[in-house]
Amino acid sequence: MSPRAAWRLERLGFGEVYDYTAGKLDWMAAGLPTEGTGAARPRAGDLARGEVPTCALNERLDAVRERVRAGGWEVAVVANEQRVVLGLLRARELDADGDHTVEQAMRPGPSTFRPFVPAEEMARFMTEHGLESAPITTSDGRLVGLLFRQDAVEHAPDEGDRAP
Amino acid sequence: MTGPETAAVRCAGCGRRVKVCAGCEQPGCRNPICDACLRLRLGQSIAQPHPHGG
Repeated sequence: MSPRAAWRLERLGFGEVYDYTAGKLDWMAAGLPTEGTGAARPRAGDLARGEVPTCALNERLDAVRERVRAGGWEVAVVANEQRVVLGLLRARELDADGDHTVEQAMRPGPSTFRPFVPAEEMARFMTEHGLESAPITTSDGRLVGLLFRQDAVEHAPDEGDRAP
Repeated sequence: MTGPETAAVRCAGCGRRVKVCAGCEQPGCRNPICDACLRLRLGQSIAQPHPHGG
């Protein structure tokens, strides 16, 4: 909350009040709990698949391809030791020359999305842009998981279900 | 010569020229969006100035 809100709460008698200086969006982006009207809506972070295969920049593409497809996936996230997302290997990149390294084959710096984005908004956006999947990360770039459009669409509440 | 990979497109939100859609990174995107508009649209950042709602 803002410093002003923190002071106001203290004035109202709340004993233990903290100012989260990074801001509300950062709090939500870290997947921390929220309260209020929208808190119960399914969000990208709830639906993202954390078990998505990951790989490192210096791995050989043929080895990664074999591992990824053996697990039934058509996509892998390129990340460093801290799980910070560096790139993406979709089917097209996975099919590139197996002698290449992951770094040579990957899509570098893919657009990432924060965990708090509502499922219906992600569903709409991914449909508009033909995105089959999208990496969900915290605001410091750490992988939460991969969100599939199908999951977002299935969990997006109908317009009539929305709280007023 | 300007190929499809380098041709600039206009953001459907603000009209700014961008190299490629920030949402899908596909050169043929029919609704290209710049990074700033994408973050605003998905609530990943807040337009400034904005009324403070807590």
